[in-house]
Amino acid sequence: MKEYRARLGLTQEKLAEIVGVRRETIIFLEKGKYNPSLKLAHNIARALEVGIEDIFILNDD
Amino acid sequence: MKIRWILIVYSVISMLGLMMLLSRENVYVVIALVLGFLLLGHREFWSLVRYRRLPVIDERVRNNLTSAMRLTGGFFLIASIVLILLLRFNVFRDTPKELIISGQLVIIGIVYLVGYHYYDRVRPNLGERATRWIKIYLITAGLSLSTIALAIVLHNLVSACFGFEDAFFFILGLLVAPVVLVVSLLGSLAIFIKGLWASFTGVEQA
Repeated sequence: MKEYRARLGLTQEKLAEIVGVRRETIIFLEKGKYNPSLKLAHNIARALEVGIEDIFILNDD
Repeated sequence: MKIRWILIVYSVISMLGLMMLLSRENVYVVIALVLGFLLLGHREFWSLVRYRRLPVIDERVRNNLTSAMRLTGGFFLIASIVLILLLRFNVFRDTPKELIISGQLVIIGIVYLVGYHYYDRVRPNLGERATRWIKIYLITAGLSLSTIALAIVLHNLVSACFGFEDAFFFILGLLVAPVVLVVSLLGSLAIFIKGLWASFTGVEQA
């Protein structure tokens, strides 16, 4: 996610603003310490111009 | 939007509560409440001062708020039952009632504060083992706290019914259970601090 964000030249703050979350949420997502809802995952994927499966993987646990 | 309105209503009620406490000269409780507000809402205050708007309440914050509120609600329920039991058996006969209720409110505030920070910063940095241990410690702390209250009540009951000084519930309530309570609280606090520290350093705790 960090890679795709950097590719578009977006800061964590800018991405947070686009998808309507706090910057800390982006930090947690990039560290893999927060599981987003499908809606948030979809919004992030759209903002980063990639598919959901490119940045998030489904973990059965 | 719903959460924002809840926070606004909560703030208005708190302001009224603060004014009532001030009129009753409970200054120490007011200081504790104001400190609690500042600690809990420092991001919100900063955002209001800096950007003239409240920060976004996103799904992560909403989930953390809900979990912390649920935890506090559960604690409030148990604390109230214990408090009613203790008041019923005149354990606090020389303590003013408003001091007892204020104390309970302050403790509930602390539980909410710790709860929110646990869900917000600590839990994402804890591994499976640490999460399991913190649960065990907290359940033990809750059980020993209930044991203290129950042992005091049973000690008074046995003494009143059978006319002799009961030793078993006395030792259990004033020695064994408090030691277990302190040990379990220290254990959970240690894991909490480790998790909080990890949120700054980025090293996950097993």
